[in-house]
Amino acid sequence: MTDNDTRESENTTHDSADGRVEPDGGTVTSAAQSHRETDYLDREVNLLKPSTPFMRDHLRVVWTGFAIWAVVVFGPVTATAIAPGVMTQTIPGIGFPLHYFLVSIGAPGGALALSFWYARRRDKLDEKYGIEHGSGSSPGTGEGTPAADGGVEE
Amino acid sequence: MSAVPLQLLPEGLEVSFKLLPAILVLSMLLLFLVIGYLFKVADAEGMWVAGRSIGNVENGMAIGANWMSAASYLGMAGIMVLSGFYGLAFIVGWSTGYFILLIFMAAQMRRFGKYTAPDFVGDRFNSDSARAIGAVTTFLIGFVYAIGQARGMGLVGLYIFGDIGLPGLSGYQSMVVFMMAITVGYLTLSGMLGATKNMAVQYVILIVAFLAGLYAVGFSQGYSTVLPQIEYGALFDQLSNEFSEPFTNESYYLWIATAFSLVVGTCGLPHVLVRFYTVESERTARWSTVWGLFFICLLYLSAPAFAAFGVDLYGGVGMSTAEADTIVVLAAQLAELPRWFVGFVAAGGIAAAIATTAGLFIAGSSAISHDIYANIIKEDATQREQVFVGRAAIVALGVITTLAALDPAAPIAALVSYAFSLAGAVLFPMFFLGLWWENTNRQGALAGMTTGLVIWTIPMINEVLPTYVGSLDGTISPTLAQWVPAIGSALIAVPIVFAVTIGVSMATEEPPEDIKRLVRQCHSPEPMQQMDSAEDIVDSDAPADD
Repeated sequence: MTDNDTRESENTTHDSADGRVEPDGGTVTSAAQSHRETDYLDREVNLLKPSTPFMRDHLRVVWTGFAIWAVVVFGPVTATAIAPGVMTQTIPGIGFPLHYFLVSIGAPGGALALSFWYARRRDKLDEKYGIEHGSGSSPGTGEGTPAADGGVEE
Repeated sequence: MSAVPLQLLPEGLEVSFKLLPAILVLSMLLLFLVIGYLFKVADAEGMWVAGRSIGNVENGMAIGANWMSAASYLGMAGIMVLSGFYGLAFIVGWSTGYFILLIFMAAQMRRFGKYTAPDFVGDRFNSDSARAIGAVTTFLIGFVYAIGQARGMGLVGLYIFGDIGLPGLSGYQSMVVFMMAITVGYLTLSGMLGATKNMAVQYVILIVAFLAGLYAVGFSQGYSTVLPQIEYGALFDQLSNEFSEPFTNESYYLWIATAFSLVVGTCGLPHVLVRFYTVESERTARWSTVWGLFFICLLYLSAPAFAAFGVDLYGGVGMSTAEADTIVVLAAQLAELPRWFVGFVAAGGIAAAIATTAGLFIAGSSAISHDIYANIIKEDATQREQVFVGRAAIVALGVITTLAALDPAAPIAALVSYAFSLAGAVLFPMFFLGLWWENTNRQGALAGMTTGLVIWTIPMINEVLPTYVGSLDGTISPTLAQWVPAIGSALIAVPIVFAVTIGVSMATEEPPEDIKRLVRQCHSPEPMQQMDSAEDIVDSDAPADD
């Protein structure tokens, strides 16, 4: 997980290249500013081709989480099928065979930890883009931005 | 699963009428009705309109209660007793799927604003045919899922109420009829009262009963003290190898197929998705999913411990499937805990089964009355007619579920997983592609859903139907059963349905602009009001194209 700073400068560059950023001299971050100027109703939704900076950032979190999830959930079982000897060894102290422990406690526990991690990351994204929930603000989408540029797969 | 004839009288379980546990179960049902009544006023006026916000924790509990049925409470420990390591596929599938739901669907579903499966596919793909397939699938899910619940209620009901001996039926069958009659009756009452607040209460009863049972068994038998979820590890020496050895009972392939089907099924189940509309914002939708998974994990980390204790207490081998399915109650009984306490543990199982059956039946009957009858068959149907059709659908569901549960084809967890394969094969791809690829169109959705239904039906006919038809003996094609098992058919179905949906969508016209805007609104990070749906924002209430 890279830090957000690099992302922001990238986004700004990206947006500037499209000529869509008009600095208003405010205190918001450049990410929040480009968010305000994006009309999400004009931007294509495609899981493999994020078309807005926000969705690009979001999907990076989603795919990272998904990859770890796949390993946590199906990894131990697969390892047990490949190397049963190693995986069925007893863990000293608690008595579990390794594969049993990793599957029965590791997988659900891992999914729970990942869910917590994701929800936190997503909150941080909201913060970065200046999105507030439950404050009663009305949906204010920008207008007149050019058609979706398709974005870049990363 | 091999087609071993099921033994439906749990031999080891003490079957007799028990006054205190019976009072416990009945007062529990009464409590649900009272809560439903007390919150009725709030429901009618405030629930949707005044924008009451249901918080993270409360919605998390509701997710937990909605989720955990007899399959979690009884079936999961049961399948671990019968199949050892393979049983863990159920724990993994039923818990880790929530993460996929969280990252890909929870917030988007909240924004879409439509919370019934038929509504979603009907509106997203602008098609009454898609709506009809969605409604039929929802009805089928309710039916298949509820068979497992009826089996659980029948078995545990035997412990509490004894053999009531309806003429011509066995003790188990009489109890299935009796419990289903209670459920349908309760549903008619609670349906009128709109008991939403019950969910959190049901979760508390369920988890307290389960954990109290586990701690009491562990403590009284000297297995564990403060953390049975870890302490049962010490038992592995004493348990037979079958309990932990990998892939002795079932293959690696079946393990993966089962877990995968349960994961995608989780993301496609109509009665799970309903929980996301009642929250104030997408942020709450996300956090309540985290809480929901936490509450679910409390039970799921404990179930293997219960199974291990039960196996050790039972001693010896050759437990019948009926005994395995009641292992949670049986373990408490074998530990010689007081009768009322065992009854309390049993009552928790009945609460879990009734709560989930209620949710399923309501989803199934509204699919029939709202989506098929009022939307397609008779567009000017009056409110009264709709209510009548809905009631008739509940009774019909009750009757066919009871009939199918009299001689069920498999243990509880397996029965329920058939419903997950169905939801995973037919509804999950539509939700996923519908939300994440705006070019998914009507033709693609119709082709995909039909494909999913067909792929789900084939192994059901191959493996499950023969157990109901006397002239057929065992599985029709063992090879087919090996690669497309009924219990995990979504592993094969989901990739094919994805391919068909994408292929047909690309070969045909793109969906109209207003539908695309609807999908984009689901992904817009702009906050929405509680009552807003994506549809309100983009303002596209056009009738279906077909």
